[in-house]
Amino acid sequence: MKRLLTFTLLFALATGMAWAQNEKYTKAMTDGINALMAIDRSKPDAKSLQDIGNRFERIAAAEPKEWLPKYYAAYTNVLLGFVGATLTEKDQYLDKANALLKDAETIAGKPNDELEVLKAYQSQIHLAADPMNRWQNDGEKFQGFLQAAKSLNAENPRIYFLEGSSLFYTPDEYGGGKKVAKPILEKAQQKFNAYKPETAIHPDWGKMETEWMLSQTN
Amino acid sequence: MKLFYCLLLIISPAAFAQKSVQGKVTDQKGNALPGANVFLKGTYDGGTTDANGVFAFKTSESDTVTLTASYVGFEVFEKKISLKESLAAMSIKLEELANELNTVVITAGAFEASDEKRMAMLKPLDIVTTAGAAADITGAMQFLPGAQRVGEQEGLFVRGGSGQETKIVIDGMIVQNPFFSSLPDVQSRGRFNPFMFKGTSFSTGGYSAQYGQALSSVLLLNTTDKISNNGLGISLNLANAGLNYDYANKNQSVSAVVYYGNLRPLFKLVKQNVEWIHAPEFKGSSLTYRWKPTKNGILKVYGMCSDSHLSMNSNDPASDTGKMRLVLKNNNAFTTSTYTDSWGDGRWTLNSGLSYSRNKDNMTYDGVNFDRFDERAQARIVLTRLLTGNNTILFGAEAHAITIGNGMDGAMYRLKDRYTAAFVESEIYITRQLAGRVGVRSEYSSVISRANIAPRLSFAYKTGRYSQFSLAAGQFYQNPDYRYLYLNKSLKFERADHLILNYQIIKNQRTFRVEAFYKNYAQLVREFTGEKYDADPYRFPWGNTNNGGDGYARGFDFFWRDQKSIKNLDYWVTYSFVDSKRLFQQFAQSATPTFISNHNISLITKKWFEKAKTNLSATYAFTSGRPYYNPNNDEFLKDRTPAVHNVSVQASKLQSIKGNLVIFYATVDNILNTRNVFTYRYTPDGQTRYAVGPQSYRSFFLGMQIMLSKKAKVEKDDF
Repeated sequence: MKRLLTFTLLFALATGMAWAQNEKYTKAMTDGINALMAIDRSKPDAKSLQDIGNRFERIAAAEPKEWLPKYYAAYTNVLLGFVGATLTEKDQYLDKANALLKDAETIAGKPNDELEVLKAYQSQIHLAADPMNRWQNDGEKFQGFLQAAKSLNAENPRIYFLEGSSLFYTPDEYGGGKKVAKPILEKAQQKFNAYKPETAIHPDWGKMETEWMLSQTN
Repeated sequence: MKLFYCLLLIISPAAFAQKSVQGKVTDQKGNALPGANVFLKGTYDGGTTDANGVFAFKTSESDTVTLTASYVGFEVFEKKISLKESLAAMSIKLEELANELNTVVITAGAFEASDEKRMAMLKPLDIVTTAGAAADITGAMQFLPGAQRVGEQEGLFVRGGSGQETKIVIDGMIVQNPFFSSLPDVQSRGRFNPFMFKGTSFSTGGYSAQYGQALSSVLLLNTTDKISNNGLGISLNLANAGLNYDYANKNQSVSAVVYYGNLRPLFKLVKQNVEWIHAPEFKGSSLTYRWKPTKNGILKVYGMCSDSHLSMNSNDPASDTGKMRLVLKNNNAFTTSTYTDSWGDGRWTLNSGLSYSRNKDNMTYDGVNFDRFDERAQARIVLTRLLTGNNTILFGAEAHAITIGNGMDGAMYRLKDRYTAAFVESEIYITRQLAGRVGVRSEYSSVISRANIAPRLSFAYKTGRYSQFSLAAGQFYQNPDYRYLYLNKSLKFERADHLILNYQIIKNQRTFRVEAFYKNYAQLVREFTGEKYDADPYRFPWGNTNNGGDGYARGFDFFWRDQKSIKNLDYWVTYSFVDSKRLFQQFAQSATPTFISNHNISLITKKWFEKAKTNLSATYAFTSGRPYYNPNNDEFLKDRTPAVHNVSVQASKLQSIKGNLVIFYATVDNILNTRNVFTYRYTPDGQTRYAVGPQSYRSFFLGMQIMLSKKAKVEKDDF
C-alpha cells in the first residue's frame, strides 16, 4: 500500500512537473505575446521590442522543439527592422529575423503558411528600408512568399492584410493607393472575423492594423 | 512518506532560493551594448541589458548552468557558471562578427555599381539616371574617376590607355563586339541594355587574375538572375520602337525583346554635323532563358542578333571632294550561356560558361568594298573554394577560338587565334583589418605562338570603421592589334605593369575616394613605314613592326559623392589627372597620344521630386585639350585642341495610366550648344585644317516606356 502510494505520488509529481513545464511555456509565451500586442504600432519603441524579442529567444533556447518562440522572435526582429535607426541596423535585425525563420522552418519540419507570411512581411520591411534599390528583388520575393502561403492555407487573413498594406502604402501613380487597397483589406477583415488561431499562442496579429487602414480608406 | 519529503527537498531550493545574476555587456573596446540578451541556457531566466549595458535577473537554478549573452551583429558568448555560491557582477565582452563595417574589402582599382554590396559606390540605377550618359553603360562609366572622354571614338579610355585596352566582360565571358560597328569620327553606342545587369564593376587597373587580354581595364557586367516585371512592355522613343515580354514561373523565366530603330525622325529634328545619306536603321531581338534546376544552381542562356544599315558622307581630307561616301551593313549575333552552382553550404562554387559571337560588317568606301568579319567561341570554368575565416582560393581556365577577317573587293584575309588561359587566385584575410589577394594568370596565344605569366597582387588595410587603404600591383598582357599580325606573326604580347594606391572613406551616405597610379607600358608595337607620320586613324598598318615601344601613364583621380546633406539630392564630383607618353605605332619619338586628355572633371547631380514623381539630373563634363597631329609643326604632337565642355540634363517622370506604369524621359545634351572640337585633321598637302566634332551640338531626345501588367503589381519606388 505504502509502495503504491509512493508510486502514485511519484507519478503525480512527474506528470505535474511536466504539466507545470507546459504551463510555464504557455504562460511565458502569453506574457510575451501580450507585451508585443501592447506596443504602440504607430510608434513602436525599439527598446521594448528588443526586450520582447530577447524573451522569445530565451524561450526558444529552452524549448528547442517549439517553432512558435522562434516565430515570435523573428516577428519581433522584423518589427525592429522597421524601427531601426540606420540602414545597417535595420538590415542586421532583418538578417536575424531571416535566420530565426530558417530555424523555425527546420523545427516545424513541414511547410507552414504562417512562416511564409512572415517571410513575406520580412521582404516587405526589407524593401521599405531602401525602396529605390530593393523594390525589384524584394517585391518579387514578397509576392512569391504570399503565393506560397496561399497555396498552403488561403484562409490565413494575414496574407490579405500584407497584400492590402502593400497596396495601401503604394502611391496611386504606381497602381496602389487606398482605393485599390480597400477591397483587399475588406477581404482581410472578413478572413480575420472567420479566423480562429489553433491555440491562444498561435499567430493572431494584423487585425488591428487592417481595421486602422480600413478606417483610413473612407 | 520519507520519500515525499526527499522529493520536496529536491524541489524546494528551486522554489525558495532565488539567486540574482548581474553584470555588464560590452564590446571588446568596453562600449556598452544596450539591448543584449543575457540568459541561462535552457531556462526561461534572463534579461535584457539597459542603456548602460547592465543586466540583472533572478533565477531559481542552483546548479552549474551555461550563461549565454547574444547581441545582434556579435558572436554569441557562452560560459559555464556555478550558482552554488552567490555571484559577483560579471563583465562580458562580446566579439563583433565579421561584417562590412569591420572587415576590410579589397578595392584598389575597382569601382562597383551593385545592389547587393553596401560598399558599392554606385547603384545599377545610377547608370540609367545619369544625364549625358544616354542610358548607355559605357556612357555612364565615362564620368567615373580614371576614365578619359574621347568624343569621336567608342570604347573606354582608362588612365592613359586606348579604347582597345579595355575589355567588356559579361558573366565572365569576353564580349567581342560590345559596341555597334564603329564609324569614322562617330561614337557608337554599346549594344547592351543597362537593365540587363544587376551589377557592374569598372576596374581602372590592378584587376583580378581571372581576367586578361586588357592592358588597362575590364568592365565586368553581371546579368540579373530574375525578371523584373511579368508581362508586356512597350518602349517608344524618337529613334526606336520595341516590345519586351517577360514570363516567369517558379523555377524558370523567359524574357524576349524585339526592336526596330530608325534615326531619320530624330535627325530631322536635331541638326546633324554629319551628312547622312541613309540614317542608321537597325532591327534586332534577344531572348533570355533562366532556369533554377537545383537550390543554388542557375542556368542562363542569352542570345541576341541585330542588323543595321547606314550610309554617310564622312569628311575625308585625302580625297578631292573632301568627302567619302561610306555604306555600312552589319550583322551581329552573340550568345552566352552560363551555369553557376554551389555545394556544401557554399564551400564550393562553380561558375562556367560557353559563348559564341559573330560579327560581319559589309562596308563600301566610295564604291570599294571593305569587309570585316570576326568570330569568337569561348569556354570558361572557375571553381572557388571557401576556406575557414572567409579565405578563398579559386582555380579557373578559359579557351577561345577567334577568327578575324578583313576583306577588300572580295578577297578575304583571315587570321586565326587559339587563346587559352589558366589562373589561380586566393583571397586571404590575415586579420579583419588586413587582407590580400594573390593571383597568377598564364596565357597562350597560338597566332603568335607565345605564352606569358602574369602575377597580380592586392592588399587592403582598414584604418578605421569607415576608411581603408588599398594597394594593387600586377602585370597585364594583351595580344597586339590583330591588324599588325596579318603581316608579322612573330610579335610579342604587349605588356602593362600597374601600381595603384587607394584610400577611401564611406560614411553616412557620403563617399570620398582618392587613387594614385603608375602604369608602365612595355613591348608596345612600333611600326616603321619609312614615310612621314600618317594621321589617318583608319589606315591599315602595312609597315615593318617590332615590340620596341614603351611608355608610361601616371596620375591620380578622386571621387566625392554626397547623398545626405541635401534631402533627395544626390551629387558626385570626379576629377582625373593623367600624364602619359608613349613610343608606339608610327611614333618616331615618345609623345602624348591623341586620346590623352590631362584633366577630366565631371559633376553629376540628381534630384528626386517626390510630389511630381520626377527625377531630374544634370551633368557637367569638362575634358581638357588633347594633342593632335599638325604636319606643319616640327614638334610631334605638340598642338592641343581646345577643351571640351558639355552640360546635359535629363528628366524622367513616372505616371500611372489606367493601371499601367509609364516612364517618360527627356534629355537635352550640350544644352549650351558649345561648338566642341574633339580633334583636327589636315589635308594631305598640310594646308587645310578640318575640325572633328560631335555628330550634333545641342540635341534632345524623348521617349517613354510602358509596362502593361495584368495586375498593378508595381512597387513603391521605381526610381
